[in-house]
Amino acid sequence: MEKDLLGRTLSESEVEFARIYRELKTLAVRQDLPPCAERNVKKALACMWQVVNDLDLEFEQLYELGV
Amino acid sequence: MAETSDYWNPKNETMSREDLRTLQHLKLRRLCEWAYAKSDFHRQRWDAANFHPDQLKSLDDLQRIPFMTRADWMEAQAGAPPFGSLLTTSRDHAIRYHTTSGTTGKTPLRVLDGMKDWEWISEMWAYGLWGFGLRPSDVVLFAFSYGTFIGFWGAHYACEKIGCLVLSTGSATTESRIKSIIDMGVTTVCSTPTYALRMWQCAAETGIDLANDSRVEKLIVSGEPAGSIPAVKRQLETAWGAKVGDTAGMTEIGSIMIFECARQPGGTHIIEDHFIEETLEYEGDRPVPYGERAERVVTSLGRGFIPLIRYRTNDLVVKIPHTSCGCGRTGDIYQGGIQGRWDDMKLVRGTNVYPRAVESIVRECAAVDEFQILLTREGVIDEICVVVELKPGREDHWDGLCKRLHVDLADAHEGLRFKVEQAPVNSLPRFELKAKRLVDKRPVAEYSA
Repeated sequence: MEKDLLGRTLSESEVEFARIYRELKTLAVRQDLPPCAERNVKKALACMWQVVNDLDLEFEQLYELGV
Repeated sequence: MAETSDYWNPKNETMSREDLRTLQHLKLRRLCEWAYAKSDFHRQRWDAANFHPDQLKSLDDLQRIPFMTRADWMEAQAGAPPFGSLLTTSRDHAIRYHTTSGTTGKTPLRVLDGMKDWEWISEMWAYGLWGFGLRPSDVVLFAFSYGTFIGFWGAHYACEKIGCLVLSTGSATTESRIKSIIDMGVTTVCSTPTYALRMWQCAAETGIDLANDSRVEKLIVSGEPAGSIPAVKRQLETAWGAKVGDTAGMTEIGSIMIFECARQPGGTHIIEDHFIEETLEYEGDRPVPYGERAERVVTSLGRGFIPLIRYRTNDLVVKIPHTSCGCGRTGDIYQGGIQGRWDDMKLVRGTNVYPRAVESIVRECAAVDEFQILLTREGVIDEICVVVELKPGREDHWDGLCKRLHVDLADAHEGLRFKVEQAPVNSLPRFELKAKRLVDKRPVAEYSA
């Protein structure tokens, strides 16, 4: 069972947010994406960071991913 | 569900104080580890003070961290221009550059933001704007110049995020902004309190009554303490026929850290899942209890490009418990918002004078259009004069108003005698950004060896 930063069990939607965030991070480091995908993935990751940060699912810096 | 929520982030805006402190401690620890590892500025200062992030065993250990001041920042910036040793990552990762509004001719404080920082800046505004009642159906006009000064930039993007229709009026004249407000059915206007008054005056001069002729129902003000001064708020709400919501932020943060909720509790909630706001004695390190005047010292848990940790703001605040408001938020409140700057205080013949306190009294007089506080020295005696410009057609109010101001200003300042003078119509300066209504013409003391 996944937990948030305070040790609380994640809701169904929070599990999805955390999964999407991780997938965007994986995409953000790929070198084979066309500009339209690479830049929009980073933009999407910057937005998704707000969700996981606001909901206490993750708190980290993303500059090394260019975000 | 989303549009019916009173809160932008219900999970954290209503979390228990205990959980809030746990969250703040966790984020603080991670932020400090990041700053120590990546910023020469922080590492060198913390090493010199024998502080290491490992010492942050609880939130109380925050007090181990040395304070950071604007002077520290400026010194670092001057030592390695243009950004100093504060950056935690390559400037290649930045997408935005902003500066303090600053005084002309002086080097401004410079900041950079990465992609997620910039989104976070609008996120903080979204907490405040949503909390005051903005929704996707709103049409929002920004009376803002859109320069390098951070101002309402974050609010603009927050409104886009919320789904509002946004009107940016960067270089527009006051007249054309008023026309847009009417023509586009604007429901919300964002500006400084001073400029909101100016727009209303300008509209009235052309026969437009904004309270009846516009659809504006919310004014979001920022940039000056006046947004929480009851007399100014009342005047604006009557003039516009709209609710006024106060907010406050700073370039060093990039966004707002406090906002007034829709219940208008006479103060502004702190966004405590993103900021740690200490209230300490001015220039000291003793925590000040609820209800007493203090200096706010801020730690931002947001922008990581230039971490802001235990930053002395010089802002004068009075913190009161969140329970003072019935909205359900658990973020504490600054009563009356940011009440001014500690160094705004002027000493006149032994009495402390705060511009905000003077403004509170002057704005109680509905006939006042604009005013200025003038400090002079006559011989060895300091004089304080409030120069008042009346609204056109209100000249016959002068005698009564003058007497009332003499009495009320003296009563509020331990009997200090104020001069009160009338200025010709349209002779005093008007302001679009931060109003500067205090002019200190007293000579600076010079000492020779």
